[in-house]
Amino acid sequence: MKFIKFAGALVAAALVAPAASADKLDDIIASGTLRCAVVLDFPPMGSRDANNEPIGFDVDYCNDLAKALDVTAEIVETPFPDRIPALVSGRADVGIASTSDTLERARTVGFTIPYFAFTFNVVTNADAGLQAYEDLADRTVGSVAGTYEAIRLEEDIKKWDKGGSFRSYQSQADVFLALSQGQIDATTVTSTVASAIVQGGKYEGLSMTGEAPYDVDYVGLIALRQEYGLLNYLDLFVNQQVRTGRYQELYEQYIGGDAPRLTVDKVYY
Amino acid sequence: MFEYTFQWRQAFRALPQMLEGALVTMQISLLSMVLGITIAVLLAVGRNSKSIWLRAPATTWVEVARNTPALFQIYMAHFGLGSFGIYLSPFVALLAGITFNNAGYLCETFRGALRAIPDTQMRAGRSLGMGPAKAFRLIIAPQMFRIAFLPTTNQMVWAILMTSLGVTVGMNTDLTGVTQALNSRTFRTFELFALAGVIYYCIAKAVMLGARLLAWRLFRY
Repeated sequence: MKFIKFAGALVAAALVAPAASADKLDDIIASGTLRCAVVLDFPPMGSRDANNEPIGFDVDYCNDLAKALDVTAEIVETPFPDRIPALVSGRADVGIASTSDTLERARTVGFTIPYFAFTFNVVTNADAGLQAYEDLADRTVGSVAGTYEAIRLEEDIKKWDKGGSFRSYQSQADVFLALSQGQIDATTVTSTVASAIVQGGKYEGLSMTGEAPYDVDYVGLIALRQEYGLLNYLDLFVNQQVRTGRYQELYEQYIGGDAPRLTVDKVYY
Repeated sequence: MFEYTFQWRQAFRALPQMLEGALVTMQISLLSMVLGITIAVLLAVGRNSKSIWLRAPATTWVEVARNTPALFQIYMAHFGLGSFGIYLSPFVALLAGITFNNAGYLCETFRGALRAIPDTQMRAGRSLGMGPAKAFRLIIAPQMFRIAFLPTTNQMVWAILMTSLGVTVGMNTDLTGVTQALNSRTFRTFELFALAGVIYYCIAKAVMLGARLLAWRLFRY
């Protein structure tokens, strides 16, 4: 009788205990759904196709991750400024959203090793007559609020202090609308977006005006800072994507050419 | 579950910047009210006029201003006019959008107030030898403002809160714009926006208090 009671207690404990110590990774596996915060206003990383379905590099990364975890993927569309709120409020489990891994942000949110790297181009209104990045000093420029390039551009405008002004818009589409109308003279965007937009021909009068002299922008996947189990898994996932050639394959599919190196010289990550 | 550790210190360090933004917010809302009231009085007179040439534009303004979202009006002032080659800076576009909205709502407030003033007031003024304009200025207008005062303060608060829509047209110097910029740099979303909410609340309360004092000074019987 005593033994049965003891066994019963053990079984009960086994049923209850995992729930008490389950972390985010367990939650995802148990729920059978992986919810990814993806920015769908940022081709070719994330956008919508003709049928309004999410497509892009980040969307495919979410699908790959879901497959690795043996769960179904769910894309949570998230504008750039809402990436952290989406994670913290529990609307998404992981952010696959080209998030620059700054030390200031890392105080709030957990980053993986870089899964992608961006360089930047200057895109100008063809009528503005701009030749180089330094010509922007006395102009009205703009970019998407909260992005790496927006922060760099605003800093430079302030540093030049030649009467230029900076505007931050809420979406990439608004920036290009303002640029093609002539409300702003120039913007800096990732080279991937720049070529997609200028060649896409959706907006009139835009022209590529060389590179913006910013450091390479390494971006990581993001998750809640305290979820080490999940962050470790994501690090391994990023590593495996590169190792298996999937990174290069998707890069060719969406951007073309050789995928950028994700390592920094002279230091381990 | 809400899994987040609040770090208020970082938010409080940003307070001076946010208060500067709050000044811009107050500037825009005050300007939009002054302009809005001026236009609204003209619109109210226009809507009560017998001439179709005055009535039609006034009615159109009021209809559009009251029956479309403020966000749409501000967006149109920036990107809508922009497509015709008229470039309003975010500040001016936001001011124009809110003024347009204020004028529309306040016009109806004033028109209601005018209706509430008995016709005999105007006739009494005229019978004392005043011209129509003088009678309106000295007899009707003070009574109109007294009746419309409380709804007007309502619109004032509304104007303050509407300034937060400026971020959609690239406004980054007002309270919401500054908060948004800080947020994107630090990702301390909840602390920063909670603080911004408190500041908005305080501004609105302060404006209401100021309006009460003004009313006590101006409209005492």
